Amino acid sequence: MNKKKTARALVLLLAAVLVAVEAVAIIVAWPKQAAEAAAGAETNDQKAAARLDAETAALRKRIGALAPKAAHIIIDSARNTLTLKTGKEVRLQAVVSCGSGSILEEPGGKRTWIFDTPRGEFQVKSKVVDPTWVKPDWAFIEEGKEIPKKREERLEAGVLGDYALGFGDGYFIHGTLYSRLLGRSVTHGCVRVGDKDLKAIFQAASIGTRIYIY
Amino acid sequence: MPLLRTIWGCDFRALPVFCVLCLSFPAWGGDQTASLQNRLAKQELLLAKTPSLYFIVYLKSKMIVLKSRGMILQEWKAQSIRAWGDAPPLGALTLEKKSTLFPPKRTKIMPAADEEEAATFELDALELKDMPSRFTLFLSGGIRLHVRPKARGLFPRLGNIGHLLGWNLWVPLKNLSFRLRKKHFAAFDISLEKKEDGQAVYWALPEGIKGLVFPL
Repeated sequence: MNKKKTARALVLLLAAVLVAVEAVAIIVAWPKQAAEAAAGAETNDQKAAARLDAETAALRKRIGALAPKAAHIIIDSARNTLTLKTGKEVRLQAVVSCGSGSILEEPGGKRTWIFDTPRGEFQVKSKVVDPTWVKPDWAFIEEGKEIPKKREERLEAGVLGDYALGFGDGYFIHGTLYSRLLGRSVTHGCVRVGDKDLKAIFQAASIGTRIYIY
Repeated sequence: MPLLRTIWGCDFRALPVFCVLCLSFPAWGGDQTASLQNRLAKQELLLAKTPSLYFIVYLKSKMIVLKSRGMILQEWKAQSIRAWGDAPPLGALTLEKKSTLFPPKRTKIMPAADEEEAATFELDALELKDMPSRFTLFLSGGIRLHVRPKARGLFPRLGNIGHLLGWNLWVPLKNLSFRLRKKHFAAFDISLEKKEDGQAVYWALPEGIKGLVFPL
């Protein structure tokens, strides 16, 4: 009987300790206001407040000035869409294909490729009409072929469509033979666009046109 | 209560309510919006000057925004945002790790054995639908963002009970352990309207991206 009582008392004591610890934890964890902001708050002084507002407005203006005013391209790699804009005006919206995210390992495990479309801000670095694809090593490895030694053996015409816009590191916005796959993530990192949209994008873009990919 | 009422002859019946209010409204004692907006603009300008994408989490406005050069690329509205722990530092934070129960797996391409096999095409892509909608973003400075969609249906609601218990009991204890080790800790529970929004956030925020978490 005594043992039972002691056990019950111990359980109750343990529960009480746990509740107390939890209560302390909750009080300690209660959300706090940023001390730095509190220290900088001088909004009671009207002049200081006006000065602060003016400074904020100037900073906002400087941030706004960083956004592109000329034609630029925005690519949503998650939804496989491309938007061509000038300033805030949307000039064209197209369904595209971006990187598949797949991995290719060279037999023997020497090299690995991840077929993602890169993200961030880029610029159009080259514009090519009737581009010829210079097949990289991974294209041969994927096809189970030997990697050729001569450059000529790497050339393949007609697969990139009528136009290509290079944006660095071998990545291009180009056409496709597989228009039925537009809207799906199937490429090796390049951005494939349908023929009609590609022509409009090619005409609107010039060397230096900014490309934003997310 | 009688003791509270009679200290220095004053009526202290409202004291517990006052204490609760003080704790519930961390901004008690003055409007800091202008100061915070100024600070946000300063910090955003630093990020917008770089060619990298960045994000801003607006805690009061309940918004997550992906930006580049000050331009909004995408934004997601949260249904609710709750917090525990310290205030987030008012400076650029780095997304150090994304953690989820079932992380999306990349498909491995097997080199074709012959030309016939090379001609066959299989679509094995990592797409938006493969992304998780419940995950935790670990930011620098001990900041954690727990992202989840609003629960719809029986099983998600049951799952949410577990999350609520974890959020209300486990996270404060974790905060306490961080506090005892003199480490910074802040956790935010972000509930998004749709499952697709969570998947899009997971896709859009790669590890290494910089961002701001602001109480605005």
